[in-house]
Amino acid sequence: MKKRSFSDWSLDIFVYLILSVAGLITLLPLANVFSKSVSAEWAVISGKVNIWPVGFQLDTLRNVVTSSVFVQAFAVSVFVTVVGTLLSIFVTAITAYPLSKRLPGISFVMVLFIFTMLFNGGLIPTYLLIRNLHLLDTLWSLILPAVVNVFNLLVMKSYYETLPEALEESARIDGAKTYAILFKIILPLSMPVIATISLFYAVFFWNDYFHPMLYINDEALKTLQLYLRDVVMQADSATAASKSIDELMNMSPEGVRAATVVASTVPIICVYPFLQKYFIKGVLVGSVKG
Amino acid sequence: MKTKKWFILPVIAGLLLTSTACGSDRSNDAASTASSEASAASPASKPELRALVKWIPEGYEDHPIAQMLEEKTGYKVKYDMLPVDKPEDKLNLLIASSEPYDTMTIGGSNKALYADYAQKGALVDLTPLIDKYGPNIKASVSQESLDAVKVNGKIYAIPTRSIEYAGTSLMIRKDWLDKLHLQVPTTLDELTTVLKEFKDKDPGGNGDKNIPITIKGDAPMVDNIVGAFGVSNAWNDVDGKLVPRVMDPAYKDYLSYMNDLYKEGLLDPEFAVNKDATVKEKFTNGMAGVIPLHWADIPTIADALKKNIPDAEYVYVPALKGKNGKAGLAVVSGFDSLTFVPKASKHPEDAIKWINAKLEPETFKDMSIGVEGVHYNVKDGVYTPILPKFDDERGTASNFHSGIDEKNYPVYWQVRVHKDQRLYEGWEYLNKEQPAEVYFSNPLGIAPYFPNFSKNSAKLGQMENDYSVKVIVGQESLSGLDSFVAKYKAAGADASYKEINDWYATKKK
Repeated sequence: MKKRSFSDWSLDIFVYLILSVAGLITLLPLANVFSKSVSAEWAVISGKVNIWPVGFQLDTLRNVVTSSVFVQAFAVSVFVTVVGTLLSIFVTAITAYPLSKRLPGISFVMVLFIFTMLFNGGLIPTYLLIRNLHLLDTLWSLILPAVVNVFNLLVMKSYYETLPEALEESARIDGAKTYAILFKIILPLSMPVIATISLFYAVFFWNDYFHPMLYINDEALKTLQLYLRDVVMQADSATAASKSIDELMNMSPEGVRAATVVASTVPIICVYPFLQKYFIKGVLVGSVKG
Repeated sequence: MKTKKWFILPVIAGLLLTSTACGSDRSNDAASTASSEASAASPASKPELRALVKWIPEGYEDHPIAQMLEEKTGYKVKYDMLPVDKPEDKLNLLIASSEPYDTMTIGGSNKALYADYAQKGALVDLTPLIDKYGPNIKASVSQESLDAVKVNGKIYAIPTRSIEYAGTSLMIRKDWLDKLHLQVPTTLDELTTVLKEFKDKDPGGNGDKNIPITIKGDAPMVDNIVGAFGVSNAWNDVDGKLVPRVMDPAYKDYLSYMNDLYKEGLLDPEFAVNKDATVKEKFTNGMAGVIPLHWADIPTIADALKKNIPDAEYVYVPALKGKNGKAGLAVVSGFDSLTFVPKASKHPEDAIKWINAKLEPETFKDMSIGVEGVHYNVKDGVYTPILPKFDDERGTASNFHSGIDEKNYPVYWQVRVHKDQRLYEGWEYLNKEQPAEVYFSNPLGIAPYFPNFSKNSAKLGQMENDYSVKVIVGQESLSGLDSFVAKYKAAGADASYKEINDWYATKKK
């Protein structure tokens, strides 16, 4: 083994230092919010909570996650995320496949997709479209318009192009039809990219605030992000001047807001470690052959 | 040929998707047409109404008040909530796309939006409907309130009048005063003396961190202190004219007073970057001797202060008298909300009937504070809540209001300040125990809509805040005030001034 020189060491230390600082910068605010959610209200008000909880208690968190509005919004978000991700990944996978082949006119189809990446109808026309399709106040309005993300489609297509063509040819010689090739050979080989794109889609569906804000009025269909935004904003001091006295008296304490943030962020954070190994591999896949 | 087969599956999948989507919608349509047919068949039956309402954390579905109202008024109502963040964006979208809501309730501070809708013809003129179907509305909502929401002489909204109260005053550490054998200050000079003592003697033992008084960076016009200069509200009556603070001669005196506090180290040197939470932190940690505080915040502040400093005591400063004997507390007045009926409504008459039914005296009382013996007790005209039942079932009742019984509600409402003894004491001190002449009601609270004022007030308020902070910290000198006032006038204050005083002259007659 080659002996490491001083400059190698110092570079390593430097890199680790930078990364630790960057890590801390992202981690500390999270830790702060988490600590607030499990600290006593008096400690939060008097600014005693930094990284570690003060006056540890779980009641706030428990009250938040057991409130019926939270549970309902959580269920809606889980539904949208699971169904949306499965549908998106399926549609993306089968759309990318023909696009990766040399078929007559396929480049024109590709241009059509890329066109939507650069141009769209704008907010009001899109809203009117959703309304005229009678999708308002349905969960499909959150899923269908987002079912294909062209960027993800391109990643998928590039990945397919890296697979050796000989693989398909030999399968075809063995008598496999197109569907069998796609589902039995191509897709199993594409697991890394599928995992990555699933994560992209899942995070998008989970965090989406804007579309539910536009398309959903029915309380029973409100997503977690809508609920979270309302909880956080209602205690915003910037809007205090326009609040009625009853609203001022009913403002939720900071601990409750922190607990709501924690309860709605933790589920999607939990997904990361399981997908991380694919994630790192996946972002690079298809990048060589463009 | 074979190679082309793969194309079929996605197409089928696509077709299936669209057809299921349409399918679910068709069933919705079927349901709605069925219900409208049903209502057409028997004219006596009441249609289901759709109400767009303000956000409450627990939601409206299955809310005890919603159930009570359905039973009493006979109207089944589907409530949808506006978002807390930028509700006006969503509202614009819903109005623009003609969503068939029967009533829409928005915050009273959005009067400009309401006037805009009314002028553009997006709302139903309620004047004839109130005459025909609204005897309770007429009995409950005063003519003054209805006049204030008139647009081109027509009423397009039912206003919900705010409770009038003095909210914010200076909270001082009583134990610090006792330690230094000082009295609670009653004049501006006494306040200055007390602050100096706080600085020199450091009764809290804070050392370098000792702060005699701290305020928020976005509120340099401190309640109660501004009253001592005769500028309690953003606009004040000066010799029969309404004048904004910046154009008031007292503005200069106020700024120089605050600048002195800052120079002498009595005012928190970091105040310009203080947020609401920072001010509370400094007080509850025992670093600050005086802060401006709303009585609604007393319970949380008191809890935290007691935990940190067990023998801390706090007390409100009375309305402070200035040099020429002026003193004043700003009294909030205006509308909590406006409820209107959009043109897209399918049942405007029923909407007014519903609002009228909600103002039937017994129903209104039940909606607002519940049932005696269940949600509240009453003794000698004093209403006290039964907790936690009151909070659980009537805590957010004001969000169900569309117009209030303006005579009785202020009395009913007091049940809310009895929820916490400390809250009650703070409210009582500021609202009952001060001499009547110190209360200055916001003169623009129930004024009609002023186009220029609405357009410019946010910008002008920001200019005033920025300039005030700069003068207080000494970054700008008061000698430049005239040029700032000229800029302020040009930025829209002159136009607002004219418009408001034209109205004010007619009002006084």
